[in-house]
Amino acid sequence: MSQNSPSRWAMIGRETGRAVTAVVIALLVALVVILLTSADPGAAFQTLLTAPLSSNRTMGLWIDDVAKLTLTGLAFSLVFQARQFSMGVQGQVYMGGLFAALIAMSPIGATPLAIPVAMVAAMLAGAVYGFIPGYAKARFGASEIVSSLMLNYIAILIVNYLIRAHLAPQGTGQLATAKFPDTAIYPAILPGTRFDLGILVALVATFVVWFLLYRTNWGLKLRLVGHNPKFAEYSGIRSSFIMVSAMTVAGAFGGLLGSVFVQGRAFGNLAQNFDGNLAFEGILIAIVARSRPLAVPFVALAYGYLRQGAQLMGIRTDVPTEMISVVQAIIILLVASSFSLPGKKFFANLLGRKTTPAATPEAAK
Amino acid sequence: MIELLMTVFSATFFVTVIRTTTPLLFATLGGLISDLSGALNVALEGMMLISALTAVIISVYAPWYVAVLSGICAGAMLGALMAFFHLRLKADIILVGFAVNILATGGTVFALSQATGGDKGTSINLQSKAVPAVNLSFLDAIPVVGPTLRSLLSDHSILSWLALFMVFAVWYFLYRTPYGLWLRGVGEYPAAPEAAGINVTKVRAWSLVASGALAGIGGAQLAMFNYIGFTRDMTAGRGFIALGAVLLGARHPVGAMLAALLFGIFEALAVVMPNLFNWIPGEMIQTIPFVVTVLALILFSYRAQRARQMRTLTKI
Repeated sequence: MSQNSPSRWAMIGRETGRAVTAVVIALLVALVVILLTSADPGAAFQTLLTAPLSSNRTMGLWIDDVAKLTLTGLAFSLVFQARQFSMGVQGQVYMGGLFAALIAMSPIGATPLAIPVAMVAAMLAGAVYGFIPGYAKARFGASEIVSSLMLNYIAILIVNYLIRAHLAPQGTGQLATAKFPDTAIYPAILPGTRFDLGILVALVATFVVWFLLYRTNWGLKLRLVGHNPKFAEYSGIRSSFIMVSAMTVAGAFGGLLGSVFVQGRAFGNLAQNFDGNLAFEGILIAIVARSRPLAVPFVALAYGYLRQGAQLMGIRTDVPTEMISVVQAIIILLVASSFSLPGKKFFANLLGRKTTPAATPEAAK
Repeated sequence: MIELLMTVFSATFFVTVIRTTTPLLFATLGGLISDLSGALNVALEGMMLISALTAVIISVYAPWYVAVLSGICAGAMLGALMAFFHLRLKADIILVGFAVNILATGGTVFALSQATGGDKGTSINLQSKAVPAVNLSFLDAIPVVGPTLRSLLSDHSILSWLALFMVFAVWYFLYRTPYGLWLRGVGEYPAAPEAAGINVTKVRAWSLVASGALAGIGGAQLAMFNYIGFTRDMTAGRGFIALGAVLLGARHPVGAMLAALLFGIFEALAVVMPNLFNWIPGEMIQTIPFVVTVLALILFSYRAQRARQMRTLTKI
């Protein structure tokens, strides 16, 4: 490992450069959109870029998002490394959230066991939900993209129904359960903010995923299957087993995110549509991080900042939060493609230097 | 149960099925074309959503056909965008597709709130128009079967008839024109058309554009006939169901139509069932199209796999 560290650092530098360029381009487009639509563009853009730092509370919101984005990014990274396009994290989040909530509302919820038991239950539920499309693909050859997306809708509808008809306090018409007992809610690390156990869970999960992928036999096989399924098959790896297990393990992390959602200090209960589309943003995190688990928290930190800025921009100014989806799409498009700055060659020629063709970063895929 | 059967075999149910099938069918045909050219178009959902909103907003200021055309253009432009990033900049088609979907979910809400002056949910305060229904009341004049024919065939959206025509047109294009042969060749074995001097990239790019245009008509039908007006996330997974229908339809236009019809029937069931069985929770009824899609996909993939195995066995 030590002998390839110069190239490793060069790669990290190159990837970071590309990601930063993509973000800058996306923000420029966002600036244009804001200029076109806002009555006070300056204030809106400034809110987008600086608001998350404006108070302890907003910093807490930001870090809370980072924890969740890290987990969804990890779940997507795992399946992407195996070249599976399972999009089922959202469904896993809902199933995990549901089972975590069931534990938290049961008698166990009032004991100190509440948090660990609920987390395990959520991970199991998510794993089962991740297993289904994996098994359907390995056994029947059913496209995991379609089946996992369908399962997302099914999970959301089931959870919505259970909340409305059974779990919400009767007769109030609320679309959320009552608050869980304090023992079932993640303790705050910094009192008074949302800075809670979730961020620790996310960091531990990052390490676990890294260890699984880069320090175990299973991880090596998984990455081989992802790089070259034919070669993996010839070398005696049962690629269907790897495929199913990758989706199942990713499902467990999706389920864990469900627990982080409902038991975190942000909610502390199970509400309808609680994920606010965050689960899908893991795609962006995984792509920008090139599916490298150790890069995921850093990407989540940067992206979470932007996301929180957009939320606050939606609240404090006249530009709706949803504007950020333009930025998201541009970042995905640019990072996923092998773009290079059109002006680069021109400037190099201008300075009288010879351009070396940039090495394609395909190896990271 | 009897009531359900009575409903299912009534003419109004048939009309509902045609209505729910039409957007799915357009999207499925779109998915079919890009799939045959070798590019899985996962952005059908986003394309439909953006086209639906475009059509609704344009229809406030222009006649319905201009609105439908603008929906088609919106879809085609998204297809061109995908082609540019996938073919020119070598991005993975599935990631590009999801970028379009993400753009659509947020972007339509953003554009909607700009167009309505702050409403992020529906376009209810926009005076949007509808696609006209085709009135075939002259069928009444036919003796005996006339009234039945009229109740079955009259009052469908003009686009439903177009959808039926498009099934034929796509079939004709794919199997009876040289361009269709190119397209299938590019998807099947790109090296061969390449060697024959066909521009593979160009064929793929045009098929993505066509795919977007077809999904765009589907979106227009959804927001200008099935519902009048736009609501956020109104496609509700139809684009993804269409993706399943492409696979289920054995990658053939007629198969695509039958698959779209199957999902259309279950969607129509989900529409009529709340009135008949009010003891079944609405959310459970809403899961029907998704559950059916998963089951149909698994069943079909299993059968296709078996067929492949049988073929290889007989070869040996």
